[in-house]
Amino acid sequence: MSKTKVLIVDDEEEFSNTLAERLCFRGFDAVSVGNADKAIAAIRNDWVPDVALLDLKMPGLSGLDTLEMIKKLDLGIEAIMITGHGSTASGIEGMKRGLFDYLMKPVDINELVAKINEAAKKNYDKT
Amino acid sequence: MGLNLRDKYLNFYSSDDSNLSIKERYLTLSRSFLIIMLLVTIVPLSITTALSYFQYRSLIRQETINNAQWNAESTRQGIESFIDKLRAMIQVVSESYRYKDLSVQENLDKVFENLKSKNKGIVDLSVIGPDGVQQAYSGPFNLKGKDYSDSPWYQKTLTRKVYVSEVFLGYRNVPHFVIAISKKVSGENGYWVLRASIDTDTLDQFLAGVRNENLVDAFLINSKGALQSSSHNYGNVSSQSPVSVERLPKNKDILTVENKQGSKSMVNVVARINESPWFLVLEQYGYADKKTWVLFKRELLVIYVVSFVVIICLTFFIASFLTSTVRKEEETREIILAESEHANKLASIGRLAAGIAHEINNPLAIINEKAGLMKDLLQVSNDFKYKDKFLMQIDAMENAVKRSRTITHRLLGFARRMDIKLEPVDINSVITEVLGFLDKEAAYQEIRIDQDLQPNLPDIMSDHGQLQQIFMNIINNAIDAVGNGGIIQISSRQIDTKTVRVDICDNGPGMPPEVLKKVFEPFFTTKKGSERQGTGLGLSITYGLIKKLGAKISASSEVGIGTTFTILIPIRSVSAEGGTDR
Repeated sequence: MSKTKVLIVDDEEEFSNTLAERLCFRGFDAVSVGNADKAIAAIRNDWVPDVALLDLKMPGLSGLDTLEMIKKLDLGIEAIMITGHGSTASGIEGMKRGLFDYLMKPVDINELVAKINEAAKKNYDKT
Repeated sequence: MGLNLRDKYLNFYSSDDSNLSIKERYLTLSRSFLIIMLLVTIVPLSITTALSYFQYRSLIRQETINNAQWNAESTRQGIESFIDKLRAMIQVVSESYRYKDLSVQENLDKVFENLKSKNKGIVDLSVIGPDGVQQAYSGPFNLKGKDYSDSPWYQKTLTRKVYVSEVFLGYRNVPHFVIAISKKVSGENGYWVLRASIDTDTLDQFLAGVRNENLVDAFLINSKGALQSSSHNYGNVSSQSPVSVERLPKNKDILTVENKQGSKSMVNVVARINESPWFLVLEQYGYADKKTWVLFKRELLVIYVVSFVVIICLTFFIASFLTSTVRKEEETREIILAESEHANKLASIGRLAAGIAHEINNPLAIINEKAGLMKDLLQVSNDFKYKDKFLMQIDAMENAVKRSRTITHRLLGFARRMDIKLEPVDINSVITEVLGFLDKEAAYQEIRIDQDLQPNLPDIMSDHGQLQQIFMNIINNAIDAVGNGGIIQISSRQIDTKTVRVDICDNGPGMPPEVLKKVFEPFFTTKKGSERQGTGLGLSITYGLIKKLGAKISASSEVGIGTTFTILIPIRSVSAEGGTDR
C-alpha cells in the first residue's frame, strides 16, 4: 500500500515545513507549500495528494478559496482546515464547501494523524 | 474623555451638582418638587382666600353702611313727618281762629284739649300778642303774662313765620322745644304768635322705637353738637356730644363715617332733619362685629387651614412618590447603561481576544511542531547522556503550549458568537450531565456535591450546549473555591410560571464586596498563582451566555461563609440580542 500523500498549504512556512517533516516521520508523503498557487502547481505535477491541510487565512487566496479550487479539480482530494482563527462560521462555511474537518492551531499531532487517516480512508473508499 | 457611561449619565442629570452625593441629589430633587408644588398650590389657595376675604368684607361693609343709611333715612323721615304733623296742627289752629278768639282763655283751653287729645307730646299752647307778651296760656305751667319779646325763638318766629326751635329750658326750666307760627293781627300792623311746647320725651320715645340689634345709639343734636334728645352714650338733653356736624356739606343731607370705639368698629350716620334745627345721629356696629362676618371669617380660616394641611400632606406624599419614581427610573437606566457598557466591553474584548488568539496560535503552532519534531528526532536517535533530560524539556514545552492553547481557545470561545439553538431542555438533566463530567474531579478533592433538584420541572426553551457551558463554568469555579473537603449545594426550583431558579452555593472562602462586584468582568481572576490558574474569562463568558439566553445571573458572597450564584432562566427563553421570543 502506497503512502498517504498529504499537501500542507500554509503561509507560515516554519510551521508547514516542520509539520510536513513530522508527518513524513509518521509514514506520510507530506509536501508543504506557502500559498494556493503553489498548491495548485504541486497538484498538477503528477502528484495528487489524498489529503490537503489548509490554513484559513493566507495572503492572496484564502484557505476557503483554495478549498474551492481543489474541489473544482475533482480529484477526490479531502481537505482539513487548520487555522489559528477561531471563527466557527468559517468552519461551517468550509464544511458546506466540502471540507472534511476543521482543527485549531496548535494541533495535537496524534489527533491530526487520526484525522488525516480518516480523510484518506474516505478518499480511498470513494475510489 | 475618561468618563464612563454611568458617570456621563449622572453628570447629564446633575452637571452643576456633580459634587453632591446621590442621597443629597435626591434630597435636593425632593425639596425642589416640594417647593414647586407648594408654590403652585399654596399661593393660589392664599390668593383665593385673600380675595374671598376682601371681597366679602367689602360686600358686608357696604351692606352695613347701606343699612345704617337706610335706618337713618327712615328715622329722619319719621321725625320730619312727626314735626310736619305738629306744625300742620298748629297752622290749622292759627288759620282757623283769629287772634282775638284765641286770646280768650276758654277758647284756647278748648283748642289745647283738642290738640292734646291728638298728640300727647304737646305740653302747652299759648298766644303771644304783638308786644311779645303772652296773652293766653293753656298748660301745666304758670306762664301767662310772660314777655318773650327778647326771646330768640320769638324773634325767629316773626322772621320765618313758622319756626321749630332747638330744645331749651325756658321759664319753666324743663327741656322742651316749641313750634310757633306768627300771623298778622287783622286790622293792625302787629303780629301775634301761636306757640305749642312739646316735651322732648316725645322725641326720645320716637328714637327708642327705631333701635335694632345693630344700633348702638340714636339721638338728635343741634348744629353745635348739643344733645336734643337723650343719648345712650352721651347723657341727657343739653349735654354736649362729641359729634360734629361741620363735616356735613351744606348740599348734602346725610354723612356716613366709619370709626373705632375701643375694639369695636362703628358706623356713624349724621342726617339733617329738614326745616328743623336738628341733626339725627345714628351709631351702629360696623361690619367687623357682625355675626355673619365673624362666622364667615371663622369658616374661611377653617377651610384655609384644612386645605393647607391637606395640601402639605399631599405635596409631601406626591414629592416623595415622584422622587422615588425618578430614583427607580434612574436606577433602572443606570443598570441598563451598566449592562450595555458591560456588553460593549465584552464585545470589544471579544474582538481583541480573537485577534490576539489568532496571532498567538500561529507562533504557538510553530513552537509545538518544532518541539514535536525535536521529540520525534530524539526518539529515533541513539541514546546519549542527556537524552532523557532533553525529552523532559520537550514535554515541558509541549505542556506549556497546551496550556497556552487552552488560554487562546478560551479567548476564542469568549469571542465566538454562536447562534442559539433553541430546544426543549430539562434543566435538571443538564445539571446532572455537567456533574457527570466533574464527578471525578470532585471525588479526587473529596468535595461533596449535594443536589436538591425539584422534580418535574417544566422543560424550558433554551440552548442545551450553552446551558451546559454555563453550569460547567460555575460549578468548576465552585470546585476551585472550596478546595479539599468542601461542600457544594445545587438546587433548582420553579419560582413562578415564567422562571426557573438555580442556586449553586459553596462553602469556600467567600469574596469581599469589592471582589464580588468584579467577578463578571473579563480577565478578572482570583486564581492567580494557584495550581489551577484562571484566565479571568470563565464567569465573563458565562455572563455573556446567560444574557444571550435571556437569563439573569447574580452572585452573593460573604467572607468565611461562602458564595452563591443564582441563575434565573426564563421558561420560554428570550434572546437578549434579538429581544423576541423564538
